Amino acid sequence: MTIEQERATGELADEVRAWLAANWHGTDDADWRRRVVEAGWAAPTWPRDAFGRGLSRADAKTVAAEFAAVGAPGAAVETRAFTALAGNTIVEFGSPELKRDILPKLLSGELTRGCLLYSEPGNGSDLAGLQTRAERDGDVFVVNGQKIWTTGGHEAQFALLLARTNWDVPKHAGISFFIIPMDLPGIEVRPIKQMTGESDFNEVFLTDVRIPAGTLVGELNDGWRVLQTALKEERRTMGFELGARAQGEGGRAPIFTASDDLIEAARAAGKLGDEAVRQNIMRIHSWRLVNDWNAVRAKKEIEAGGGSSLASLGKLANSRILHESWALKFRLIGARGMLYDPADKAAYEVDHQMMWSFINSIGGGTDQIQRNIISERILGLPKGYEPDRGVPFRDVRKGGTARPDGK
Amino acid sequence: MFGSFTEDQLQLRELVRDYLRDKSPESEVRRLMATDEGYDPAVWTQMAREVGLQGLAIPEQYGGQGAGWTELGIVLEEMGRALLCAPFFSTVVLAATTLLESGDEEAKQQYLPAIADGSLIATVALTEEDGRWDDSGITVPATHTPDGWTLSGAKHFVLDGLTANLVIVPARTASGISLFAVDPAAAGVTRRPSITLDETRKLAVVEFDTTPARLIGAEGGGGPVLRRVLNFAAVALAAEQTGGAQAALDMSVEYLKTRVQFGQVIGAFQALKHMAADVLIEVESARSAAYYALEAAAQDNDELPVAASLAKAYCSEAFVTAAHQNIQFHGGMGFTWEVPAHLYYKRARSSEVFLGDAFAHREALAQRIGV
Repeated sequence: MTIEQERATGELADEVRAWLAANWHGTDDADWRRRVVEAGWAAPTWPRDAFGRGLSRADAKTVAAEFAAVGAPGAAVETRAFTALAGNTIVEFGSPELKRDILPKLLSGELTRGCLLYSEPGNGSDLAGLQTRAERDGDVFVVNGQKIWTTGGHEAQFALLLARTNWDVPKHAGISFFIIPMDLPGIEVRPIKQMTGESDFNEVFLTDVRIPAGTLVGELNDGWRVLQTALKEERRTMGFELGARAQGEGGRAPIFTASDDLIEAARAAGKLGDEAVRQNIMRIHSWRLVNDWNAVRAKKEIEAGGGSSLASLGKLANSRILHESWALKFRLIGARGMLYDPADKAAYEVDHQMMWSFINSIGGGTDQIQRNIISERILGLPKGYEPDRGVPFRDVRKGGTARPDGK
Repeated sequence: MFGSFTEDQLQLRELVRDYLRDKSPESEVRRLMATDEGYDPAVWTQMAREVGLQGLAIPEQYGGQGAGWTELGIVLEEMGRALLCAPFFSTVVLAATTLLESGDEEAKQQYLPAIADGSLIATVALTEEDGRWDDSGITVPATHTPDGWTLSGAKHFVLDGLTANLVIVPARTASGISLFAVDPAAAGVTRRPSITLDETRKLAVVEFDTTPARLIGAEGGGGPVLRRVLNFAAVALAAEQTGGAQAALDMSVEYLKTRVQFGQVIGAFQALKHMAADVLIEVESARSAAYYALEAAAQDNDELPVAASLAKAYCSEAFVTAAHQNIQFHGGMGFTWEVPAHLYYKRARSSEVFLGDAFAHREALAQRIGV
């Protein structure tokens, strides 16, 4: 068995080498990229009807290695950020036309900058309550609504869009999934100024945007299911940071070094001898380590086949690590923390990261939503009262923020 | 290897869990905790001779099976889960480890096989009235006479001190801290049971009055031996605490799924779901800390002192949190004697300070990583 596998790998390497010998002439241009895509080398793990070769991940690495050996670019790119996120979703749910139209562009590098039009001002935690509408008009859908927290929206070439296409069924059942160009008339992107003073996110306004019916991914009103694949890819590309902490200087194990940053901060403040500070640092040190060790256990459980409930705990556990670490550093810089002057680079970073920690405890679902998920999916506790369950979305009280006058 | 177990280790866990489900149900825990001795001699003997737990980690040359700390940790986690009432921690973790670390071949040959076959209950009488776990707490003097050594003084908080047939006593000689073996039946020994918060864990005051004692290891060599023993014991206790924390969480979840108020099971209320999710993080994190430390103990590597203090600190607080929230989830019933939530809470609190609390171990952790 092992010998056969090795022979198969050898054959693959020979095939790639032969193909490269015939096709690679040292010039990386559009024509070269097109040939790599059409030969199936750009996405070896995708199926043959989606510009792939149906190979294993290990075989894809062989392909990538052969390309790298001769300095040829463009092989096995299907795991890269948006290529994976949009690509895998289209591979699983897209029509033959959509595959033919979009996949080569994703794989050749023509389309690299995407954004996600999911969240709305009225629907953050309750994503399935989204209210952006897409209405059929001949061979187009007309889209109206507003999206928010759109990372990279201002420079995106394309977007994955969730919109409501049926208001007479319960919330999850009336959503559709589209992949659309961002340069269509009626799409306006406005940066959001954050509490940090910067703008990493955008609001996107969609006003009578006419999108071709062919941009629908999956069946009409089946968008929630399509989204699950896209979310899975998003989580995967986010990396999970399983067993992340590397060895420190001089090859010392993380158990000695994982909190060197906090120890340095305390030393710089002249407070390393302060009992309360020492306790605080060692508490955070322990949180960091056990979270890493949980991740190692999760990884091994997943490798052993079967999932791991531990993998769901990391993000929530990380919130207190981040908030408490930066809050401690904030206190340690003392009065400098009252300033937010980029000229004091170190103090500015502390203030900035202290605020940025909310990205972990709010972004991608708040800690409270995460606690619901953990208690329901891992501990098996029941869902709470859901007034919108089974109710046609038209009749559901819509998301948003109630105004003081009750309107 | 940290993070996963071998097939044999998984089987050991199943074996011990099944055995304890049978031999240490709540009714037995309650029966035994109400006695002065606090254990069932028949179960103790069976545990040694048929299941092989006392000798599991004792080297084969001393009548054991030669497994390591990982295996012993699995056993302790299950014992913590079941709140087993038995002198296991005192005999196997404290006394056997002290003997193994003592470098005293004669003492090892004399006592370890008896521990492995269940015929000897042993303990280490470390703490005195001030309850310190470090060298400075040891003041009982040992005197050298023409007939050998004698001890005079009192040891407090002695785990299973009433039932032990061998008491290992750290005492002071001219050369420093030395270890002595004392037969509790010898002249001048007085033992009296202490009234404990955690009735499943028996403590005693043991007094000596010119009691003959036998030196174990080198005179003045007890300090380094004890420090190593305390590292191993902290790891062992962390494993036991993890099992207790898991049991408290299991009990909580079961209640949240069955107790009905306001027309629904209370586990549907977010206030309680969120508390439960937070307890789960603590329990799993405690488990990771304990397993990591067990790995360090099994390899006896340079991370052991660090990992031991980290695990003891983390698991102490995690067990207290899980046991505390378990009572809170149960509301009024959690405050009763009838519901066993208080048994876990008392074990958690007692274990929290046993061998040093989380504050002391976090400070030790800081010092051990060089801060």
